[in-house]
Amino acid sequence: MFNMMMKKTISEQYLKLTQELRRGILVLAALSQLKEEKYGYALISSLAEQGLDIDQGTLYPLLRRLESQGLLQSEWNVEGSRPRRYYVISPEGSRTLVDLASEWRNLTNVMEKLLDDISSEGEQNESN
Amino acid sequence: MSLIDRYIQEVGRHLPRKNRADIKAELRSSMVDNLEDRYGSDPTESKVADFLKEFGKPREVAASYFPEGQYLIGPSLYPLFRMIAWIVVSAVLGAQVLAWGIAIFVAGESFSALEIFGSLLNSIPVSLGWLVITFIILQRFDVKPELDDEPWDPRSLPQINENEDIKRGELIFGLVFGILILVLVTFFPQWIGFVTTPGGKFYPNPVLIQHLGWIKVSLLSGIVLEIYLLWKGNWSLIPRIVKIAVNLLSIGVLALLVQGHNAWLAARASTGFFEAIEAISGIKDGGWELVGMQGFRLAFVIALIVTVIETLAMFYRMARGKIQTRTIKNLPPVSA
Repeated sequence: MFNMMMKKTISEQYLKLTQELRRGILVLAALSQLKEEKYGYALISSLAEQGLDIDQGTLYPLLRRLESQGLLQSEWNVEGSRPRRYYVISPEGSRTLVDLASEWRNLTNVMEKLLDDISSEGEQNESN
Repeated sequence: MSLIDRYIQEVGRHLPRKNRADIKAELRSSMVDNLEDRYGSDPTESKVADFLKEFGKPREVAASYFPEGQYLIGPSLYPLFRMIAWIVVSAVLGAQVLAWGIAIFVAGESFSALEIFGSLLNSIPVSLGWLVITFIILQRFDVKPELDDEPWDPRSLPQINENEDIKRGELIFGLVFGILILVLVTFFPQWIGFVTTPGGKFYPNPVLIQHLGWIKVSLLSGIVLEIYLLWKGNWSLIPRIVKIAVNLLSIGVLALLVQGHNAWLAARASTGFFEAIEAISGIKDGGWELVGMQGFRLAFVIALIVTVIETLAMFYRMARGKIQTRTIKNLPPVSA
């Protein structure tokens, strides 16, 4: 019983940690996919196709926040089967995207080095 | 789609009026896109219910649009609120103690402990309530204080443990004085009083004799704390809390003594200091007794005010110390 509770707590904790980790990259991911205009669900599908699943409850408020910060522009389009709000990156958003992408590459380089030992430990554990 | 519409309506109830219609329309359009993609154009009610469950509780979805809107007083305003709340409580208490001091000593009025407690119970929540209302309005209008923009110098940070060391001399003096008074009230209670006329007969203070038990408890608790502090050599959280409790007990006993003197003087129709002076000239009998009792009352009122101020200062120091400790613990790692 105690072990089950501990396992549950650890898995909940792990879930929270991964959510936190993903939250940090959402802005970069969203900006990178909005060079062409997309509505909310199309963006989610596009990211999911490329392997990044994003919670809808997180993405929609994020798009609005990025718009209020001037990084995105949006407008309603009533031409399809139902009205949809389309988002596209703004000129300021494009500049920010370049900077963020460069920052991301630096970070991944550093993290790769930092995690190098952990990968080799994992491989050793697997071989044992 | 009635479940979807009911869901959107519920989310809308928790959204601020501004942008509500727009967010609801966008949310509905996105949800319908998602539903159609998963279950086709005519999903069953149970599929829609599962989908909505996965989407999240309406209140939580609404909250994710306005994280700041979830606070009555948000994180950016709270430090300012806490600082002003301390100032307001101290000012209200200080003003009230001053008003009582003037009313009791100068105007000769008398208050019961219940009246004093009742008026505190009224004035502090009312002033704090107004402060909270003011900050709720500031929060609603998204006002952000610029306290953090001031330049600061790390060298101006307070010294660690500077206030933690005890002042040994002060403590020993207080201890000796406390023990002397305790010996006096325990073994020679009949000596606590005053001489009614120069070279005349001694008059024991009846109010002090009446409340000897409480006076001893108050003195003893102070002495025990001072001995503990001398032994430990520094202040920490527990002794500070005990000191505040001892001070609160002293405030209660002093209030009891002031009230006792008021009742004694009121029974002899002497409520003001000047009346007592007038009585010395022989217009009224027992003039020196009245002056003596007025003198005792004055001493207790001053002691009461000093103890209240000291207790408030301790509360303030404790709160400030807590903030500083937290700030030091939460400092991010030093970057180049």
